[in-house]
Amino acid sequence: MKLDIAISGIGVVGGFGCGRQALASALRSGKSPRSKASFMTPDGPAELPAYLADTAQLERFVPKRELRRIDHFSRMAMLGSFLALEDGGMLDADRSRLGVVIATGYGATRTTFSFLDSVISGGDALASPTHFSSSVHNAAAAHTSILLKATGPSLTVSQFEMSVPSALLTACLWLEEERVDAVLFGGVDECGELLHYCWQRFIPGTGADQPMCPLDFEHQSAVAGEGAAFLLLTRAAGAAAPYGRICQVQQGNVVGGALELPGDAVLFLGADGHRECGAAYREFSGAASLSAYTPLYGSLPVGPAFDLAVAALSCREDQLFPAPCGGSRSLGTQPEALAGRSICCLKFGTEGDFGLIRVEK
Amino acid sequence: MMRHLPVAVTGLGCLCAAGATLPDCMATLFAGRRQPKAPTLFTTGHAVTYPVFEAPLAEPESAELLRTSRLALVAAAEALADAGWTADALRGRRVGVCLGTTVGSTTSDEGFCRELRAGRHPDLAPMKRILKSNPARSLAREFGFSGPCQTIVNACSSGTDAVGQGAAWIRAGLCDLVLAGGADELGRVTYNGFTSLMITDESPVKPFDKNRRGLNLGEGAGILVLESEALRRERSKAACGFVLGYGSACDAHHLTAPHPEGLGLKRALAEALQCSGLTADELAFVNAHGTGTPDNDRVESRVLSEVLPQVPFLSTKGYTGHTLGAAGGIEAVFTLACLEQGRIPANVGFSEPDPELPATPVREVTAVSGQAALSESLAFGGNNAVLVLGKGES
Amino acid sequence: MTTKDKLKNILIEELNIEDITAAEIGDDEPLFGEGLGLDSLDAVELVVLVQKHFGIEIKDMEEGRAALQSIATLAAYIDERHTA
Repeated sequence: MKLDIAISGIGVVGGFGCGRQALASALRSGKSPRSKASFMTPDGPAELPAYLADTAQLERFVPKRELRRIDHFSRMAMLGSFLALEDGGMLDADRSRLGVVIATGYGATRTTFSFLDSVISGGDALASPTHFSSSVHNAAAAHTSILLKATGPSLTVSQFEMSVPSALLTACLWLEEERVDAVLFGGVDECGELLHYCWQRFIPGTGADQPMCPLDFEHQSAVAGEGAAFLLLTRAAGAAAPYGRICQVQQGNVVGGALELPGDAVLFLGADGHRECGAAYREFSGAASLSAYTPLYGSLPVGPAFDLAVAALSCREDQLFPAPCGGSRSLGTQPEALAGRSICCLKFGTEGDFGLIRVEK
Repeated sequence: MMRHLPVAVTGLGCLCAAGATLPDCMATLFAGRRQPKAPTLFTTGHAVTYPVFEAPLAEPESAELLRTSRLALVAAAEALADAGWTADALRGRRVGVCLGTTVGSTTSDEGFCRELRAGRHPDLAPMKRILKSNPARSLAREFGFSGPCQTIVNACSSGTDAVGQGAAWIRAGLCDLVLAGGADELGRVTYNGFTSLMITDESPVKPFDKNRRGLNLGEGAGILVLESEALRRERSKAACGFVLGYGSACDAHHLTAPHPEGLGLKRALAEALQCSGLTADELAFVNAHGTGTPDNDRVESRVLSEVLPQVPFLSTKGYTGHTLGAAGGIEAVFTLACLEQGRIPANVGFSEPDPELPATPVREVTAVSGQAALSESLAFGGNNAVLVLGKGES
Repeated sequence: MTTKDKLKNILIEELNIEDITAAEIGDDEPLFGEGLGLDSLDAVELVVLVQKHFGIEIKDMEEGRAALQSIATLAAYIDERHTA
């Protein structure tokens, strides 16, 4: 299906910082600061490197009192939303025909753990209703809609690594069918004690503070990341699209037929340093122009939302950013002209699932 | 807003406390039977036992998939068989899966967290099961489908949203066939969660009744086979119903309480009717959300009396319990089955009208005429979703 | 510490009302709506907090509504049941 959806604003928060400029400077420098995530294990306190997001800037948009019940997960989503609206010049626009579509791989894992904790430590009668309602997967979309007074449709999709392409398909269809005039679309996932513990169990030996090398498919180098990447989407309808247009969103499985890519496109691979997933990307490693930006934001299920934001920035500046360390085969260390090429963000999930998002200037 | 082309439904499947198959469920509904019971799937530490509606699906010793996915698989197999399809015959077709669920399959496993909190390294099996149990992916894997896959987690409106979204995939030409609906399991997380919100009833649920005190939880799955006209023509398959319209809107009001005037619900109703091209007087009935909580039923009754004053309505949650993310799927299936039978069951649990509610549901099995009906869902987070469903051709 | 003071601290710490101090909460100030601005979700959370900190169960919201008017009414509700 040929789409024509304009990207009119970007709102991002992640390890690289907060806002479009922070992402752009990370792209230019190829560097993103890493933190240490501390957590408890049965063997005592442990640490893992992680790209963590700080939502302090949310107070620029929302009075502190209104945030009292809102957890880190929803705060990241709300900050992404406000930044995207601000960037698109729609912070004060009427929002009665604004839709909200949020993709998340794991949902609010910290609050989910807190809810279980309230039951584990206090018994069933002390289950916390506040934690319960914030652990529901659509809590971030709900908080966002409430604070923005966005009274259009609101939808949350949870499809692990395929969450972003799947949810984007819906966002684009809403615009195509004229259900809404604009969609705040975003991906959000968070780090937390439970995630880090599982990470350590599933990938023994992880934890060395080494660079992520996503295109070294044989090598396990993933570092956990969290954050939110939001885009303000509108119908292009021939009008200017400062950040380019989404012209294709495809979700499928390679078992059902080979994945066809336009020959001249630049590939942004969602490879994020997991050896187990690397194999799926290997057959594309011969592409003429290829990059992976995961070393700037880390490994998280909604990574493609960040790739989409990078693609949008590339369209805006009409250039490809140098890929960070270990993230490029053919792009040099200097920015390179986009030269009319389209960008394909490609993400593989488990069992041959793939999601493809194509953006052009 | 665009007028929507009807999307054909060619098969239905349902599994919930009312029955293991759709015909069994409909027999239970029209007989007015229900058996909410104390939970047997899990233990609880509450002083009071809140009755639940468990689906007839045995729990094996060790399961590869979460119960939510297993419920979905049963209903999906019934729906595909009803449509006359086998997985093999669908090879090479563009088949999508769009399913709603809520908290039935988050990355939370109480046993795992308990072990961890007790200072022991838990077995990873529950986490592996979770990672394998995305409901939409589970169906795609089982039947070998390779089209779009979407699990909608819009709390209690998820199933309704999934049917509306699946129909959009067919209209957009993305798929030849879509399995759409909802699935959700009963478990301690939702049981404790809803109990903590103080909206569960200690006795069998009483939707729209003056003495309603809250919901009873249920579980199950309801699946529809949506099929493109091109594919249907190839095999001259009659439709057992149509998705005529879908609307959804957010109250943008409160995390857990509906807007007192039902503003979001009104907008969702208006959108669904508008894209179906139908007017209120063409509706045979409304399958309401009717959870039995004081707030939900008050708002819904107000909106129905204002927007659809002459249209009979009922809640089927007295037979199924509130199946959360599955509810929209199960109720869409029931709505189509009722249109076909030309009658609706009694709103079981309703006996005493509430003077605060301007409209009351049907009290007995009622004959209905008309070619279309509504199924609506309200959810946490202020989501409202409405489907306009049309009668089949047979 | 009196029950009232305990309750005020619980409100601030567990409902995350960070922008006021315990001393600023009036004993008779309405907890909901115009007063402290709490809502229905805070109400059910308070029910759990009362159980957790005082071991007293508020069985349903009809009973709860009267008790949850203000710090004074809630403290009275708790104290009555403690001495009974």
